[in-house]
Amino acid sequence: MTQTDDPRIGVFVCHCGHNIAGVVDVEAVAKMAESLPNVVFSCDEMFMCSDAGQQLIRDKIEEHNLNRVVVASCSPRMHEPTFRRVVEEAGVNRYLFDQVNLREHVSWCHTRQPEAATEKAKDLVKMSVARARVLEDLPIKTVKVLATTLVVGGGIAGLRAALDIGDRGFDVLLVEKESELGGHVAKWTHLFPADESGAEVIKPLIKDVKAHKRITTLTNSKVIEFDGYIGNFEVTVENLKTEKKQKFDIGTVIVATGFIPFRPYGYFAYGESPDIVTLAELQELAPSDQLLKPSDGTPVKKIAFIGCVGSREPGVKGHEHCSRHCCAATAKAAADLREKIEEVLILYQDIRTYGKGHEEFYRLARRRHVIFSKFPRDAKPVVTVKNSEVHMSWRDVLADRELTFQPDLLVLATAMIPPEDIAETAKMFSLTRSGDGFFNPEHIKLAPLTTHTAGVMIAGASQAAKNASESVIDASGAAAKAVGLMAKGEVEIESTVSHVLSELCSSCHTCITVCPYGAINMDETVDPPVAFVTEAKCRGCGTCASACPSSAIIMYHSTDNQIMTMVEAYLCSPAQLEGGEPQ
Amino acid sequence: MAKSIGNALIVGGGVAGMQAALDIAAQGFGVCIVERSPSIGGRMAMIDKTFPTLDCSACILTPKLSEVLRHPNITILTNSEVGSVSGKAGDYKVRILKKARYVDEEKCSGCGDCATECPVEVPSEFDQGLGFRKAIYVPFPQATPNVYTVDMDNCIMCNRCVKVCEREAIDLEMVDEIVEFDAGAIIVATGAQLFDVSAYPRLGYSLYDNVINAMEFERLVNAAGPTGGHLIRLSDGKVPMSIGFIQCVGARDVQKGVPYCSRICCMYSIKNAVMAMEHNPDAKVWVYYADIRAFGKGFEEFYEMAKARFGVRFLRGRVAEVMQGTHSGNLVVKVEDTETSEIRLIEHEMVIVSPGMIPPEGMSKLARKLGLPMTDDGYIKIEHSFFGPVATKDPGVFVCGMADGPKDIPDSVSAGSAAAMKATIILAKGEE
Repeated sequence: MTQTDDPRIGVFVCHCGHNIAGVVDVEAVAKMAESLPNVVFSCDEMFMCSDAGQQLIRDKIEEHNLNRVVVASCSPRMHEPTFRRVVEEAGVNRYLFDQVNLREHVSWCHTRQPEAATEKAKDLVKMSVARARVLEDLPIKTVKVLATTLVVGGGIAGLRAALDIGDRGFDVLLVEKESELGGHVAKWTHLFPADESGAEVIKPLIKDVKAHKRITTLTNSKVIEFDGYIGNFEVTVENLKTEKKQKFDIGTVIVATGFIPFRPYGYFAYGESPDIVTLAELQELAPSDQLLKPSDGTPVKKIAFIGCVGSREPGVKGHEHCSRHCCAATAKAAADLREKIEEVLILYQDIRTYGKGHEEFYRLARRRHVIFSKFPRDAKPVVTVKNSEVHMSWRDVLADRELTFQPDLLVLATAMIPPEDIAETAKMFSLTRSGDGFFNPEHIKLAPLTTHTAGVMIAGASQAAKNASESVIDASGAAAKAVGLMAKGEVEIESTVSHVLSELCSSCHTCITVCPYGAINMDETVDPPVAFVTEAKCRGCGTCASACPSSAIIMYHSTDNQIMTMVEAYLCSPAQLEGGEPQ
Repeated sequence: MAKSIGNALIVGGGVAGMQAALDIAAQGFGVCIVERSPSIGGRMAMIDKTFPTLDCSACILTPKLSEVLRHPNITILTNSEVGSVSGKAGDYKVRILKKARYVDEEKCSGCGDCATECPVEVPSEFDQGLGFRKAIYVPFPQATPNVYTVDMDNCIMCNRCVKVCEREAIDLEMVDEIVEFDAGAIIVATGAQLFDVSAYPRLGYSLYDNVINAMEFERLVNAAGPTGGHLIRLSDGKVPMSIGFIQCVGARDVQKGVPYCSRICCMYSIKNAVMAMEHNPDAKVWVYYADIRAFGKGFEEFYEMAKARFGVRFLRGRVAEVMQGTHSGNLVVKVEDTETSEIRLIEHEMVIVSPGMIPPEGMSKLARKLGLPMTDDGYIKIEHSFFGPVATKDPGVFVCGMADGPKDIPDSVSAGSAAAMKATIILAKGEE
């Protein structure tokens, strides 16, 4: 680490339109900053993130020979990379930039106290300037990315991702825990919005995957160990039949572990009669000219569907989400079946036929006299089984009337929920999960396919309930992310990592125990062994540094000195810091 | 421009096109984005907040805008349209019409001195005509590239901007150019446009001042918008205490030629309803809907929150008519509450009509140039829902975002990445 010349700090206070300036007196904040030690330039500007704002920073760095930059704007989560890049373009090391969050931390949470908010903003800027004075530049490091992708899950998403990556000229290791590739789609006889069966869709993909010279497929297999960091992961795969274990070195990962259809025990008498099935079970029935009652093999003349089974249940953990695919799948199945079945009834809350061609199924079903009846969300239909007959009663919201029906077959359109072992998968790849139980993407809007674990992508229903076509799109997209990393062959990693001063380490192992990322190991080659940090795995959380009883760990970019300086700047006046009396 | 193999052309610089460009460029290939308007960013740049997280749209979009602008492999051609395309997958010759912007992109620093000087004010397209811009302008503060454009239709040739520009960047004699570009693959990311809701005179849009459309509402609540983010009626400056949102206008309507669901309107309206409550917690906000389609990740949970935490009222029924009172400028919505079979008359101080999406202007012309078939609804036809959801009939041309049908932002982004994947498979083959 090099100590740079005398700090020459520039402070840029952002209005963020009215987001900040509507509450905080940004001019006053910028004016105050001028008086702070080592600040040689300070101003306020409408949008620091805009091209004009960025140019302003570059110009002022040059004009005033700035070597530290403080931007007081929004959360660093979004724009720290932007500003780091800007200062770097002007020749200032990215780690000599500091960002103050005047929006989320000030204007948005103190909307009704503009004066106090302005004071808080001033304090935060003071602290940041103090920190900037003692920031140190850090090196920019890269690691290589191995040209192989691990695809976990051989359903429609995993197959598509594997094929795209293989076709693009990179190697793929495809791991599937079942004995056959194809996932759920392979078992389904109707697949909307196409007329093909699931098998017809999946077979060509499996054939291409098996024939592809760049794709290695391991079925009956499971990833049991996952270690390493972006570009350089070590994976152990176990064959569940033979218990044989193999190790692989890979560069990127796509998790396409999919979903399972919810089996709705406790809902609508499911399990009490063979004539009550889920939509997934209906889709798996062997194709025949006539739909037959599972109980006695007689033709089904009356069929009913109930929507949102295990979906859209506020307050029920893991069942609050909409399962997205079921409305259109139900409409399609109902429209198809209506050609041979006299009465087809669908009980629903909302009809969500949103996608391409979906509304057409809905209209087709109505045209074929499929009966749609809306039930109130707070009074779900009641299903009972008496003398092996299925009885349903519910209130039709639109007719405002209690109705009953006795279907030969009742189909429950159940939720898509995560597979049982999702918690294990999440832990293995350090992925977080959202309320629906599925994996969290890096950003729900703009980064739906990447995750917070660098180098690990998610695709298909592992991210959220979705249909097969959407999963295919995701899969190709996730493949692009993996290839993007591998084609370049190397990737930058953060230098905001911890570092063990080996001469102070007492070999107590505390840091190893607390590190949530498994980034610390003991170097056994020296005696006594000392802890060391694998920098590419370190996420810079600082847990180890605060836990170390010997103060042997430095957290770069958040050193004790850098933090204490901020605290002092908040508590003391500049005069006091110089040893003078309080003002 | 760069060599033929290893370049992709992207038509449209919205969020889908930008994502596709970034993912292709990340692999080391060249990309040219052809954008019709003066800036990339598309519809997302106009939106105030995004569902289901209420992230500020501009705040999450600008890093992408700068990333695209700064990427050494990406060329952005704004004010430009595809002129003609010939050739085949791996080897297309594209002629691009680069319209004169009357400002030298290399020289302009985006300082804005010219706009301050310009005496002509015209309604701003970006602000949906609610605010004003000059005849020399950037559409929005984060415009990318940050280069001014002269709107020749409104320029009075007074030359004041030319004189004031220190960098001598303005040239009112500039002429349109043809740029030739060789591409191995093409991605259509043209997006979509809003249905013109004045096609429903019974809903009062364009007849009554206080009936506005959803995009106008976005600009009205946006801090950088014409009111500085104050939700007021533009007719009289009054803060609306009762607001109604009308759903499925220009969507799911066979008679109006839009039989399909526009997929985003339920969620953007729930978000707008929440924003209305955030701006004025005492307001009464109603959403008139046919089905609430909250199908994406986190959407249903957001819908629940709008009801439970914000108290947005949802009434199931297609609005029959919006009427205006004689003095107050207030509106009365006539609607059947289909859950109670009651005919209701509900007074609002502001009504927002939520338009569905339709293919963008010029879609069929572009499809013809590229030799691509279209759907009955006027979008680009995809090859197959499972085997080619981002593929078209031409093996070198792909589609993403709303160009093949309405999509929300995450689905557009995902499709952008997918189209990039397919395009790079072709580009890489050319390299071998």
